[in-house]
Amino acid sequence: MSTTIDPPVATTAPPVQHTGRFGAVLNAVAPFAKIGMIVGGVLSVLGAFLPWVTFVLNEGAYPERASLNMFVEPFGVSGFRLHITLLGIAAIVIALLTVPAKHRIVRGLGIGVAAVALLNGIWITVEGGGLGAITAADGTIAFGAIVALIGGLVTVLAATSGGLEARPEWEWELPWWVEWILLLVIFALVLLLVAEVLTSGGQGGVVNPYAGVVFLSLLAALSGALSALSASGLLTWVGVVSERHRVFSVVVLLLCALALPFTGAGTEYWMTVASNIGVYAATAIGLNIVVGLAGLLDLGYVAFLGIGAFTAANLSGAAASAVGIHLPFLLVMVISAVVAGIFGAIVGSPTLRVRGDYLAIVTLAFGEIFVRSAQNNIAGLTGGANAIPNIPPVGVGGFQFNDSITIGALRLPSGVMYYVAIVLLVAFVMLVFGNLKNSRLGRAWIAIREDEDAASAMGIRTGPIKILAFLIGAMLAGLAGAFFAHKTAVVAYDSFRFLESVTLLAAVILGGMGTIPGAVLGASILFVLPEKLREFADYRLLLFGLALILIMRFRPQGIIADKHRKAELADDDPEDVAREGPGALPTEVK
Amino acid sequence: MSESTELPPELEAPPEEVKAELADDMHIATGTREPILEAAGVTMQFGGLRALNEVTMSLKEGEVIGLIGPNGAGKTTFFNCLTGLYTPTSGAVTLRGKPMPQDPSRVTEAGVARTFQNIRLFPSMTAMENVLVGRHVRMKQGPVSSLLHGPRFRRSEAEARDRAEKLLAFVGLTRFSEELARNLPYGDQRRLEIARALATDPSVLLLDEPTAGMNAQETEATRQLIFAIRDLGVSVVVIEHDTKFIFTLCDRVLVLVQGELLVEGTPDEVRGDPRVVEAYLGAPPEEIEAQLHTTEGES
Ligand SMILES: Nc1ncnc2c1ncn2[C@@H]1O[C@H](COP(=O)(O)OP(=O)(O)O)[C@@H](O)[C@H]1O
Ligand SMILES: [Mg+2]
Repeated sequence: MSTTIDPPVATTAPPVQHTGRFGAVLNAVAPFAKIGMIVGGVLSVLGAFLPWVTFVLNEGAYPERASLNMFVEPFGVSGFRLHITLLGIAAIVIALLTVPAKHRIVRGLGIGVAAVALLNGIWITVEGGGLGAITAADGTIAFGAIVALIGGLVTVLAATSGGLEARPEWEWELPWWVEWILLLVIFALVLLLVAEVLTSGGQGGVVNPYAGVVFLSLLAALSGALSALSASGLLTWVGVVSERHRVFSVVVLLLCALALPFTGAGTEYWMTVASNIGVYAATAIGLNIVVGLAGLLDLGYVAFLGIGAFTAANLSGAAASAVGIHLPFLLVMVISAVVAGIFGAIVGSPTLRVRGDYLAIVTLAFGEIFVRSAQNNIAGLTGGANAIPNIPPVGVGGFQFNDSITIGALRLPSGVMYYVAIVLLVAFVMLVFGNLKNSRLGRAWIAIREDEDAASAMGIRTGPIKILAFLIGAMLAGLAGAFFAHKTAVVAYDSFRFLESVTLLAAVILGGMGTIPGAVLGASILFVLPEKLREFADYRLLLFGLALILIMRFRPQGIIADKHRKAELADDDPEDVAREGPGALPTEVK
Repeated sequence: MSESTELPPELEAPPEEVKAELADDMHIATGTREPILEAAGVTMQFGGLRALNEVTMSLKEGEVIGLIGPNGAGKTTFFNCLTGLYTPTSGAVTLRGKPMPQDPSRVTEAGVARTFQNIRLFPSMTAMENVLVGRHVRMKQGPVSSLLHGPRFRRSEAEARDRAEKLLAFVGLTRFSEELARNLPYGDQRRLEIARALATDPSVLLLDEPTAGMNAQETEATRQLIFAIRDLGVSVVVIEHDTKFIFTLCDRVLVLVQGELLVEGTPDEVRGDPRVVEAYLGAPPEEIEAQLHTTEGES
């Protein structure tokens, strides 16, 4: 169905006629596209090497020697300035080379530069008490932020004026062992990247006021680099290759995930953060069945996580539990899943009668009922405002999961076993999702999402199948809840508020509805951010809202798009319409 | 309205070997000529509007019945009554003598499949997946097996895929099997809907305006396709406006006007009936007559 685009053809495409609001500007710039991209790249690099701050910020020197004393060590560029340098150099090199989709790639790089410059510029301005911090207010010159921002914008403008090409589709097939090695290297790099992202900026809080912005800046740089990679078609190609070696990829990815404790992220703190992400990722995947596959909006989903957690807490032998029996952890997990599943089926049963918005209201009400009941210590099962504290850690024999492990000279931090357990749990949940999605049941869910009447005309019993989506989704959340109870050792009603349901839903939408990596990525982003942005805690909702609006505007299919959803939403993407303009080549032969 | 019988390769009638294989797979009992789908005195009342009044129909095995009538005559409503989407105000629908279930999914399971007047595919599923959804009722694959993906699961998936491939070949859409339904050309979407309906192994197929919006060549291809479907042993009811299409396709024609069954008979009988000429479209009789008779002798 698809053709590979010959590089020469793609680059000799006729000049593009731009239309739309900025059409005139773009057409005027178009003849200078190449030189413009180079100038933009040079400005970016230049900006990176200029001072960024005219004075030292209130909480001490801004990281990476951004203030005037950077000239002490001009080649010691690191942090966000290193990122800008790399992106800028990449833009210059690509502008000079003959590669397919060159303008699209360079545009991605330019967006990265502009985002990093803007973010750090704003931060310095706010922290430094005004624009003076990044200009020449006190007689010294610090134009770094401004020059880099202009460089990034020039790059984007020039690249866009050159005409954005279609993403090329590569069809290279290498010998299997070469592809294996390639995948191994790529996944190892992903692991290092994940560790880097997780630890970047360090632990947030009072001691480290710069954690949040350093983290955001790295994200901005990464999204620039990734959008360039995606524009080149290489990401898609890696996806195709890993699909070709599916089992191998899954095993390597699992091993990579298990190897995280051996990287820079291998401290107790980061293991805890990673475990929490895992809990929410597993829950988000469960929610993805309900929302992403079956298309049923659930606004009270976190209640199932809570039901699982309270069930496990009561069966853990904790002093405050009402039941007072202590069952083996694996059995507790199963029981928690079943209990949550039963509630899932109950909550799902109105789907037999109500559709769409009405169902969303029913689920919203359920979530609220759960929180209120838990707050009032219903039947003595939830501890009310006192919560259920002192839940004993999971133990196997004499070994407790929160002990640290020493293998020879290697000492792994405490919490590692929980991390391993959650990785396995998330892997299991992914397997459940993936297998169900590619089965009779999964197709029935998607069919119901697409057109419920047509689905029932195809013989699908829509009622029971929708309830099954709720049931299975809730069971997965229940599993995660049981883990959560033991990991955090205390279960309180206020972990399961409406905000949490919204965040989970946001994670699913942000990451990409109906995809597994999407839910994991979304959960990671949304649950790492508050960790990093302690000082912005009050703005958490605002940031979510902003991120969601941006995503919905520029990438409505989510960060990782389901192939179905992608096509569904592509038409609304103004970019894609432009891409089909006269200068573009079709990627697919219909 | 000159029309070439030369069809482009992608619109040609289904190849004989595909037909033979499908007939084997679906093994629908044929030849008895017994009535299979019967509607007796079906009345459908919407508030003050009587959309159907005492409509009676009997479809025999292997037969193709045409249902014509002006817009708003109640044709689609009749299909909805047959397939459990609407519960008739009075009257009975039976399938092989048994009462028809009052639930679309059970109707499909019992062996009556349909297409929709406004195409209702699953737009963001591929053509292949659309047809696979059609296999839903015939697949032996429970939730547990869906979860574990064991050997039984793989066998049932392989079978379903094999059948879906044959059906896509049957309607001439093999080249689009991995394309999303929404990206298919209009005429091909209608053909895909037919393939999806056939995937449920129906003994009766109800087609609601299968050639609406098609050009002459596509219409001819659809006619060939319906003949091929009849050859599989499936009994068919077709709603259509195009009288010429109906008269050259059907064994029997029913004319519905304002919810009333006006005339029933062979194409020739219906064509000659003055009441049809008079009532149909409400145009001056001579004009209609002229239009109806242009089709004579052609096929
Ligand atoms: N669900 C409904 N509620 C009310 N009126 C309906 C409904 N469905 C169909 N009708 C009415 O029944 C009549 C017949 O419609 P329909 O069966 O769609 O006609 P046809 O398919 O012959 O063009 C129309 O007047 C239509 O407005
Ligand atoms: Mg109609």
